[in-house]
Amino acid sequence: MELKLTNLTKEFKDITAVRNISYTMSTGVYGLLGVNGAGKTTLMRMLCTLLKPSGGSITWNGADIFEMDGEYRKILGYLPQDFGFYPDFTVYDYLMYTASIKGLRPVTAKQRIKILLRQVGMEKTAHKKMKKLSGGMKRRVGIAQAMLGNPQILILDEPTAGLDPSERVRFRNLISELADERLVLLSTHIVSDIEYIAGEILLMKAGEIRAAGTSRELIAEMPEQVWSVAAAKEEIDFYMQAYKVSNIKTTRQGAELRIISSDKPAECAVLEEATLEDLFLDYFGERTGEQNDEI
Amino acid sequence: MKERVSKMTRYEVKKVFAKTSSKIAVMLLLFVMGITCFFALDITYVDENGSTREGLAAVSGLKAAQKEWAGCLDEEKIRKVIAENRRIQNTPEALAQDITQKEIAYSWGQGIKEIRNLLNCAYAKGLREYDYYLADSLTEEDAADFYRNRTRLLREWLEGEAKDQFTDEEKEYLIGQYGRMDTPLYYDYMEGWQQLFKFAPTVVMLTMLILGYLVAGIFSNEFAWRSDAVLFSSFYGRNKAVTSKIKAGFCVVTAVYSAVFTIYTGIVLLYLGTDGWNLPIQSSWISWKCFYNITNLQKYLFIIGGGYVGCLFLSFLSMLVSVKTRSAVPAVMVPVLVIFIPSFIANIGSPFVNKIIGLLPDQLLQAGEALNYFNLYSVGGRITGELPVILILYTILTIVILPVLYQTYRRMQIG
Ligand SMILES: Nc1ncnc2c1ncn2[C@@H]1O[C@H](COP(=O)(O)OP(=O)(O)OP(=O)(O)O)[C@@H](O)[C@H]1O
Ligand SMILES: [Mg+2]
Repeated sequence: MELKLTNLTKEFKDITAVRNISYTMSTGVYGLLGVNGAGKTTLMRMLCTLLKPSGGSITWNGADIFEMDGEYRKILGYLPQDFGFYPDFTVYDYLMYTASIKGLRPVTAKQRIKILLRQVGMEKTAHKKMKKLSGGMKRRVGIAQAMLGNPQILILDEPTAGLDPSERVRFRNLISELADERLVLLSTHIVSDIEYIAGEILLMKAGEIRAAGTSRELIAEMPEQVWSVAAAKEEIDFYMQAYKVSNIKTTRQGAELRIISSDKPAECAVLEEATLEDLFLDYFGERTGEQNDEI
Repeated sequence: MKERVSKMTRYEVKKVFAKTSSKIAVMLLLFVMGITCFFALDITYVDENGSTREGLAAVSGLKAAQKEWAGCLDEEKIRKVIAENRRIQNTPEALAQDITQKEIAYSWGQGIKEIRNLLNCAYAKGLREYDYYLADSLTEEDAADFYRNRTRLLREWLEGEAKDQFTDEEKEYLIGQYGRMDTPLYYDYMEGWQQLFKFAPTVVMLTMLILGYLVAGIFSNEFAWRSDAVLFSSFYGRNKAVTSKIKAGFCVVTAVYSAVFTIYTGIVLLYLGTDGWNLPIQSSWISWKCFYNITNLQKYLFIIGGGYVGCLFLSFLSMLVSVKTRSAVPAVMVPVLVIFIPSFIANIGSPFVNKIIGLLPDQLLQAGEALNYFNLYSVGGRITGELPVILILYTILTIVILPVLYQTYRRMQIG
């Protein structure tokens, strides 16, 4: 089992969305982390044969996936970022239809659907129309749909986007459950999602993979350190401009700043253990989606 | 294997009809069909007291009156009709000013009404002339010229007004076709067929507009619904799923079209009767000048077949447009444009333009009318009218569209 990307590039008219990516994946969960517009979706669309690369190649066990055609798509499950469906179909009809285009026999399809509906907790809503489902329910049908063919490669584009925190936790657990014995690639701009489920993290920026490794490896490789600084109100602006500040906690005297820097920013600065959040900020120079959500 | 594929097609059809707007479109179709049938069945008959009857009473009255004159339209019969018409015109009732009296006179003529119209055509001053009162001025001696006049008027027209419109071979062909009509004609009551012919174009075009709406989204709705990503990344997404869409288009057109025509034909013929199905179309004055020697039933089959080929062609054309533009909106416009634009060009009226117009797909939707046009084409050294040409032409074009549609859709990039 080997999915190999070689010099993969995708150019649109005025922009290079994916730039010269070479990377190899096998069984396990891979988390693709990047800000909006980093090229995550474009990369995934190419992996799903929806878009033809402008350059480079993608091979599965040595064979070009575009030449494999149906044979490749047979082992593929995909949950798109903007998961679309047939609004007037019931959940059950939708899954039966999707099973048919995935080449499942009706008998097999019925069994799979029953199992998956239970797994995603949708047994009771099977005969509801798709358009009447809540956002979370739609995502769950999306996951079920991707899992129908029991795929060896499972690609999930921001599977937790738009879900409330408790739903997100449930979803993470579900994905971990399903990840067994497969290659799972999921994208997100929410760090905590990936921290929990991804074995391998790919940091993507401006169409390139800037770093890859386990969470621990990446943090260890981080060139800078993380400091905690207690600053007075009037000092905050100075720190904000001079350093990368990953977090600000206001206190009675001023604020407690979390600063990423190779040298000690102040006398009183205390060395902290770096997290994936800090790493994200270090790479992307901006605060993560999750924090933005909370502001 | 088979089961899976047909299941896919069934779901494709279901995608079409699950939409509320599609259900409304079908209801609209049924509603307008109902109105059309109402008009098609609107027959009146005037009884001997001069009062107008409607409904089934009118049908049976008219049928009985015309059946009295059923039989061979030979010289003898023509003479009788001319005499009878003159007798009626000279009765005090016909000459009276009173409306009721006039209506009574009219009631006597209902049995020969259709033959009287044939006389108006046969003895007209020219092929393109029609004078409603002409029959009243005929005498019994004229009867002998009834059939001879038909060819004579054609010849005069071809040598005069239409001299430059046809080649010598084409002129010969038309005269030959006229000569091949079996004489004497047979006359019978055939109101059912006449009404069927009259409203068939409305029914076909209406069906086409609704069909265009139904099928325009079969391919492009996947983009609108954003369901394309899952579809095109699935095992059959770039092959059998595409075929099943084509099959679904075929099924929707065929099912809706045959349902519409079963209802329309059934209602009209049950109500007005199937009498006259095997009579030559020329025994109705509407088709007196027609050069195709076919029966009423054959004409109706042409109308149904032409309409079906037309609907299939336009439906697949609209699907192709929807794929090329990734949107159902311009696709829905395709049948609308095809139906309405030719009627604007038609006003130019030059023979060359007529020949082009004769080949446009809207002609298939009104095949009954197309039979009446003197548009000739030579295909492989043989001269023929427009209807056989467009039937074959658009069958071929439809078959040509299918692989283009398939290949264009299966190569779609989803980004
Ligand atoms: N079909 C397209 N045509 C032109 N440009 C495109 C197309 N799809 C994506 N892009 C551009 O490519 C870049 C990468 O987009 P992409 O959707 O892959 O980013 P992303 O990492 O998935 O972002 P997000 O987190 O917002 O989903 C963006 O600048 C986008 O505008
Ligand atoms: Mg994206």
